[in-house]
Amino acid sequence: MSPTPEEHPNKAAFLLRVRSALGRSEPIVHMPDHPSLKSNAARQQEKVRTVVARNQARRSRTLDRLARTAAAASWNVRRASDAEEAASIVAEIAHDAGVKSLVRSAEDIFKRVDIDGSLRSVGVSPAILASGRSRGRGMLRDMAFRADMGVTGVSYAIAETASCAVIPRRGVARLASLAPPRLVLLIEPEQVLESLDDFFAITRLNRMQARGRTANYFNFISGPSRTADIEQTLTIGVHGPGEVHMVILG
Amino acid sequence: MAEVKSAEFKKASGRALRDEKLQHALDHVMEHFVGARANIIESDFGDESWEAMRTRAAAIKQSTLEHLDYYLDMVDRSVRRNGGHVYFADDAAQANAIVLDIAKRNGVKTVIKSKSMVSEEMGINHILEREGIEPVETDLGEYIIQLAGETPFHIIAPAMHKTRQEVSALFQQWLKTAPTQDIKRLCVYARDALREKFAQADMGISGANFVVAETGTVCLVTNEGNGRMTTSAPRIHVVLAGMEKVVPAIEDLALFLRLLPRSATGQRITSYNTFVGGPRAPSDEDGPEEFHLVFVDNGRLNLLRDEVMREALRCIRCGACLNHCPVYQKIGGHAYGWVYSGPIGAIVTPSMTNMKVARDLPYASTLCGTCKDVCPVKIDIPRLLLHLRHKVAEGDASERSTTWMERLFVGQWHSAMRNRRALEGKANLGRLLTRPFTRGGNVRKLPFAPMVSGWTASRDFPAPAPRSFARLWREELADGNTPANGTER
Repeated sequence: MSPTPEEHPNKAAFLLRVRSALGRSEPIVHMPDHPSLKSNAARQQEKVRTVVARNQARRSRTLDRLARTAAAASWNVRRASDAEEAASIVAEIAHDAGVKSLVRSAEDIFKRVDIDGSLRSVGVSPAILASGRSRGRGMLRDMAFRADMGVTGVSYAIAETASCAVIPRRGVARLASLAPPRLVLLIEPEQVLESLDDFFAITRLNRMQARGRTANYFNFISGPSRTADIEQTLTIGVHGPGEVHMVILG
Repeated sequence: MAEVKSAEFKKASGRALRDEKLQHALDHVMEHFVGARANIIESDFGDESWEAMRTRAAAIKQSTLEHLDYYLDMVDRSVRRNGGHVYFADDAAQANAIVLDIAKRNGVKTVIKSKSMVSEEMGINHILEREGIEPVETDLGEYIIQLAGETPFHIIAPAMHKTRQEVSALFQQWLKTAPTQDIKRLCVYARDALREKFAQADMGISGANFVVAETGTVCLVTNEGNGRMTTSAPRIHVVLAGMEKVVPAIEDLALFLRLLPRSATGQRITSYNTFVGGPRAPSDEDGPEEFHLVFVDNGRLNLLRDEVMREALRCIRCGACLNHCPVYQKIGGHAYGWVYSGPIGAIVTPSMTNMKVARDLPYASTLCGTCKDVCPVKIDIPRLLLHLRHKVAEGDASERSTTWMERLFVGQWHSAMRNRRALEGKANLGRLLTRPFTRGGNVRKLPFAPMVSGWTASRDFPAPAPRSFARLWREELADGNTPANGTER
């Protein structure tokens, strides 16, 4: 870990001016009263335990809700009863779209869902988008920009907004779910949460427990890339994928 | 800093009103935004829970502002713990210097930008260009107005005043593409041109929708994916954030991410939300190796200092007040003369720039109060407009911009209203003086520039009744006299 960057020389003077604009002469010592800042790791853990239990109890209903909100947000939703079916759905999507070059992340889910096999059976050979294999930034970027389709897993899927939380890390490049014009995300039932509140409660706990060693970067993907910047006409697929598929196992 | 042209508000809004094409675009767009917002709130929450959410969001933002020094310190520590750099810039010039320094130190030649209103305040594109660094806007709307050499027309729809023909012409000129009427095609042209830039750029500059103090997380809200590109492809990422963008806790984002997209575009959520709090980890596959967060004051202290105006800093820049404003709906964004337009522009521009230059903006409102009703953080915009009008009329020498004639007139008015005899005398004088200019019961046009003629330049003024009420009372109504067939005029 590199050393902590220095404080900016203007920080003290800047904060002093802010303070005096607020009519105070001394800095605040005690944390202002704010409920969502107050709970410590133990209490946050308690909270998350309730969140997880609730989500477990209502899983099938939440999966249905996710499928509904996702369809409303222009996702193509497919539900697979098992890993084998999920793999063949991915192959079917690639085949129907006439995909020639496909990139995927390197994640655990592909050990269970063998898309490599199913894709090869329709004549597509997937490449893994990872810097170890593509030798550096430029190569990885070129590979991602050239691909017709990207396939990755998710960390969570939020039913309230049809948002898939994708957390880039070793094996999961940022560009895998961004650069290709088509995206397929694989979702496992235990990754599905009811609400944004659930997601952020868990995120906060993960951070507290990891002592700062959590990801500095994550995304919600909640539908196709869209713009209405020309004449308020909705157009799909500007910088990100215009065609997005959610394959839910369950 | 970007030039402030608010002094030309009246002339510019007149031009906008006469521009038929613009009027058409405004009608169309406003209908769309207003309807979409109402529908999604109705279907997802209903008025009561929406109101409760607004109340909570207003309280969180207000409390954060009251303790802003504490929370800014907290962000600073969090981001540096994550391995990122944090800067504090007093004004646009300092902020520009900080960004330029980072760019030069790294030999940056191309900068890609995701939408940032603060960068518009700073006018950073000109600064970078002057140093031989190419800035490229990547939000489609921002890209279009960059090619056109204009400023944003709307906070969230910067190029809504451009037709497809105009966009096609711009692309023909700058990208050498074939002319087309097909909007989808135009998007593909932009995508291809910008892909090249994403691959070239060494630095990405983005704004910030929210900055979470406890985790040092910057949250970006986008639909196109350019925000993700900007924070993924280049080697360096610089965030420009107004110092009021802070929220205390990561869990607060659930609330704000419900309020912002619904208020802005009527979406349940935008296609993308990016959360970034520092550079990539060494084990990550891609992403910027450097992360810089620049907090910018640039006039915000003036708002913070004034206890009435302070709540203007709660703004989360959704644009709902623009979309619902009967004045904005007719004159659009450019007339306001600076970066922020509509009701929010009318309250922040005078304080952040120059009270005298922007003196007309607080009057660019009917005070109908719709802006206050739709504001997701419940800013009492009409009250703040009145507060600013008070400053324009009676503030100290640095704020006041009334003429001696106005002050004389209002002084006379003031004394007349406190004395019946004086009022009658002055009313009689007024009756006499306006008689030559009266046609059909209205005073049509008064002479004498500009103070007096200003009253009738764009509206009729009802002529005083031939006999005052006081006289009528004395002559006919008092002492049990009753008019025969009601009162004649």
